[in-house]
Amino acid sequence: MTKHTIIMAGLAASALGGCIQVKAPDKPIEINLNVKVQQEVVVRLQRDAQDLIQNNPELFPQ
Amino acid sequence: MTRKILMFAAGAMVALATGLVMTTPARAQSGAVASAMADGSVGEQADGYLGIAGTVSAAVRSEVESINIKRRAAYTQLASQRGVTVQDVAAATGCQTLSSRVKTGQVYRIGAGAWQTKGAGAIALPSYCATAG
Repeated sequence: MTKHTIIMAGLAASALGGCIQVKAPDKPIEINLNVKVQQEVVVRLQRDAQDLIQNNPELFPQ
Repeated sequence: MTRKILMFAAGAMVALATGLVMTTPARAQSGAVASAMADGSVGEQADGYLGIAGTVSAAVRSEVESINIKRRAAYTQLASQRGVTVQDVAAATGCQTLSSRVKTGQVYRIGAGAWQTKGAGAIALPSYCATAG
């Protein structure tokens, strides 16, 4: 009986196959690039860091 | 008129004296830290802060802590300007100190690793420092 229902559902789905609708998700698609972003942030900050060191020599004794 | 000039001169002298008083101790203290860095008891860390690698006097220890607090304040300010985390700014600064500040013979530490002494070559930086420079 259950098997029968599944087959019926499958048939119904394939019958509707002609009009598959693709719907954009409500939420934005999230792609996790945390590691890469972290790396890019650090690279971008290199110049800022250089300035910070030069502008605060008392904080960076050698 | 003369009184005004006199007052101005007095004010300038007070400002000058205050400046002297304020700068002199700071210089002496960071000199102690610089000496500790030279003898390998204090070193730069990849996390952007100074660390204690050996035996130091209480004065050096407290000055290192004071410098680190001020560094953290500077990192925090820059982080809020750039919309990044304090750790990001600190790590970027760590890349800079390790790549261009630590001198041969001085010690440094990456992460929780052991203290290492900088040799003649460049320090092998963490991967996130890749294009530092």
